[in-house]
Amino acid sequence: MKCKNFQDNLLLYLYDELPGEERAAFEAHRAECAHCRQALEETRSLHQLLGQRPAVEPSPELLVEARQQLEEALDREEFGWRGLLRGWFQGVPALHASRAASVLTILVLGFGLGWTLRPRVNLPASNGGFMGADLGNITSISQVTPDPQTGEVRITLDTGRRVTLEGSLDDPRIRQVLQFAVRNYDNPGIRRDTLDALLVRGATPEVRRTLVYAMLNDPNDGVRYRALDAVRELGWSPEVRDAFLELLKKETNLGVRIGAVDFLVANADQAVLPALRELATQDASFYVRMQCIKAVRDLSGEEF
Amino acid sequence: MDGICLELAGKVPVGSARLAGVDERALIRRAQGGDRAAFDDLVRLYDRNVLRIALQIVRSPDEAQDLYQEAFLKVYRSLSRFRFEARFSTWLYRVVTNVCLDHLRRRNTRKEIQAPMQAEGEPEYFQSIADESPTVNPEQTLRAQEIGQRIGRALARLNPRERVVFEMRHYQGLKLRAIGDLLGTSEETAKNCLFRATQKLRVELSELV
Ligand SMILES: [Zn+2]
Repeated sequence: MKCKNFQDNLLLYLYDELPGEERAAFEAHRAECAHCRQALEETRSLHQLLGQRPAVEPSPELLVEARQQLEEALDREEFGWRGLLRGWFQGVPALHASRAASVLTILVLGFGLGWTLRPRVNLPASNGGFMGADLGNITSISQVTPDPQTGEVRITLDTGRRVTLEGSLDDPRIRQVLQFAVRNYDNPGIRRDTLDALLVRGATPEVRRTLVYAMLNDPNDGVRYRALDAVRELGWSPEVRDAFLELLKKETNLGVRIGAVDFLVANADQAVLPALRELATQDASFYVRMQCIKAVRDLSGEEF
Repeated sequence: MDGICLELAGKVPVGSARLAGVDERALIRRAQGGDRAAFDDLVRLYDRNVLRIALQIVRSPDEAQDLYQEAFLKVYRSLSRFRFEARFSTWLYRVVTNVCLDHLRRRNTRKEIQAPMQAEGEPEYFQSIADESPTVNPEQTLRAQEIGQRIGRALARLNPRERVVFEMRHYQGLKLRAIGDLLGTSEETAKNCLFRATQKLRVELSELV
């Protein structure tokens, strides 16, 4: 082996990556060449020096914190459209007979008030007769579809055959029925669609109240999140602020909490300072605490 | 490819990263089907290694945590495309390595080429081996810290690829072939990077050797 080859192989030798026969040749040359021996020792001491850099091992605290933050990031990820869809269409809770029935009753009552029925059927002389024949068999609402162009809303019902009710979103009676459905119907996907239908004609004061109600009380995470989105679009007002503060007191879903905190922080004023302070020290979510600490610092100059 | 797995596994303290009797393939399949709990289990199998690699390279707990998260989010988003052609661990470490490389490149373009100093108030994140030894004399500790910082600065002056190759070979104990595989390049290229890195370090640290 020549000196040049020796120098080339020096690192591989020290890292034990030199194949057997080359290794033997390397060691033979080392034994006979003082110059190369010296070069080897120099590199060896460089390696020893580099070995003095303390090895780091992530502490258990760091690992726990990293896991927690990852969990939160994954939650946010799941609240992308795919996650939301999963939330709406999966795990529809068992139908509570009484509540479902009451929503349907209201719908049926609403029918007399402003709905038209599609397809047109040979109606008996009175609504009462029709209700006995068809609406009595309704088991659930299968679809709520607003038409933003015409302001019509269509509700498809599951009966023995397909029945569709159509009404105008400009009709306060129809809106009332829809609001009732948002608050009471059992299927979260339908509640969400109904919410969207209500929004087609803008947020009247009554619709605002329904949105806030759904954001605070809906049992489904996805529906609360959708309502939160809609409330955010209403813009900042004392009413909205109070709703968000109330939400943060009881909301358990991290995605919804984060949505609420982001909005609160973006609009933070003196009135929310006490709440932000509390969240900054006590909230279980690292993200929430950090956002609140930042906001309090910006707002009051306080350090935590 | 198996080499990577074995090498890294060899560095893992017993019991920390291996869940006994876990059927990894089944976990991956469940996670691919959207099962979050399965994904979490998968994370727990490897995340200590991932965090160690990141921490070793950036030496800042905050940044390491960010890289950890970035890597696992990437894995989460692309898990459905994992086809069992490589080991999952190899695939994961490839993602981590690239995330670290990109991070170093970004850092370089921001001209923050100094090695991050240990921020005050955060030392509990580091469990340096030296700290655990019962008989430490303060002067030695100080000297060791200084040397550690000098080495850190020298490493920070390497280009990102040299840096990663050097960390992986010298500190993580990976074979050059495995490093080439993680970086999507050849063993020969990894070897050349290692040579250049060593040469630069030799110059930077000449007065300490
Ligand atoms: Zn020689």
